[in-house]
Amino acid sequence: MRMRNCFFGLVRAFVVGAAVFTAGQSGFAADEYAYDLVHSSVTFKARHLDISWIHGRFNDVDGKFSIDRENPSKSTFHLVIKTDSVDTANKARDEHLRQPDYFDTKQFPTIEFKSTSTKAVEGGYEVTGDFTMHGVTKKITFVLKGGKEHQFKDIKRVAFSTELTLKRSDFGFDKNAIGPIGDEAIILIDCEGTRK
Amino acid sequence: MPDPKLYLLAMAASAIASLLFVLAATAVARPASSTRLNVASILGIGLGLSVGYNVLALRLAWPPAKGLDRLLLIVVPTTIVIELIAGFPWVPRSVPWLMRICLAAAAPRVLLHGSVYLSSPASDQHLWQSAAQLVLCSFLLIGTWRLLTLLSVRSPGISIPLALAMTTQSGGLTIMMAGYIKGGAATIPLAASLAGTSVATYLMRKKTSLSGVIGIGVVGLFGVLFIGRFFGRLSTVCALTLLLAPLLLWISEVPSLRHRKPWFVGLFRLLLVAIPLAVVLVLAKQDFDLKMAPLL
Repeated sequence: MRMRNCFFGLVRAFVVGAAVFTAGQSGFAADEYAYDLVHSSVTFKARHLDISWIHGRFNDVDGKFSIDRENPSKSTFHLVIKTDSVDTANKARDEHLRQPDYFDTKQFPTIEFKSTSTKAVEGGYEVTGDFTMHGVTKKITFVLKGGKEHQFKDIKRVAFSTELTLKRSDFGFDKNAIGPIGDEAIILIDCEGTRK
Repeated sequence: MPDPKLYLLAMAASAIASLLFVLAATAVARPASSTRLNVASILGIGLGLSVGYNVLALRLAWPPAKGLDRLLLIVVPTTIVIELIAGFPWVPRSVPWLMRICLAAAAPRVLLHGSVYLSSPASDQHLWQSAAQLVLCSFLLIGTWRLLTLLSVRSPGISIPLALAMTTQSGGLTIMMAGYIKGGAATIPLAASLAGTSVATYLMRKKTSLSGVIGIGVVGLFGVLFIGRFFGRLSTVCALTLLLAPLLLWISEVPSLRHRKPWFVGLFRLLLVAIPLAVVLVLAKQDFDLKMAPLL
């Protein structure tokens, strides 16, 4: 009986030890970064009457990402954009864009991206994930370029940038409201992450 | 972009479908009883709405994700069912009103479902403020509904549903000029089918209260104004003015007007309601010229 207790005690210690070791390993391998709003931007542009571009940005963005240099597939990216913070340098247009024909910010306050798989490619990462806008979630894949690190005043920084093209009609935007502003929107993300 | 030709087509299709349905349904048994006429009118509005939304190609999502989806797929159909039940003489009078009160209490909550007003912790409003707003909106809805139904029993006439149609269409134009095109367009089939059924009952030359038509009209008007106020840019003052404008019909109940000829009372009622509507539309147009027109 004593022998049996001793055996189970050893097994338990081994299991707990292994779990702590594994958790510690993954904790050290992946660096967690917070989205740095000061040095990042999410901007967009869309065609006006198919002759020019209208530019805008979202001023309130949050997110976090973890970079696992040894095992890139374990890297994750999460970005949350507050739709109410849309800014096209024209107050009346911003108010219009907040209405239900466009972003419907009272109903859908955020645009969100959450990665589901990541792989290393030359010059960055190819990220696939769920992109939710206007209440519609679609899987998208894009290449995040960059990943260079920089240590400045005890803060470790890493930066990425990407450009993606989305069709508003794919995300439930009203086709009748698309009108003079093109269906396609190009979104440019330049983000810097910080880690103390 | 707004398409006036399409809007006119949807308006005509809704009005004609409602009108023909009511005339056909009541032609089967003449003279048509009040119950038959009420049921035919309610179903006529339902048909008019379906035809109009099909012409507009208004895409609604199920499960409903937006306020407008919830209005047209939950709130308005529920009102139609309640008014159908209420139309039968064997139903005790307290039952429909109990159902109407329940609907009025639930409608604001249903329309705001999933929105920042109910879910966002970052909202600068306290919970009790949101709850108070919802309760106030429910009271406004049931109050307007009760007063107009009472008027239609006391002094029936097609001027009541016609006033509601006029107000609904004015509300739609105001919402559209404030920048919510789809929300404004959604009022076209509602206003047109209200007008279609009203004209049909006028052609039947039957003086009946049309409480079912009024119920659908009030709920539809409240719904689009509520969505325009909470999801669009419709101001509280405009929304309240438009919702309460049909109550001006009660002025025709003053003794000096009440006993005049029906056509005079009807015309007077419509002109009375048209005054605040004209003011709201002029202000909306000015705001549109200032803010929205340069964006086109």
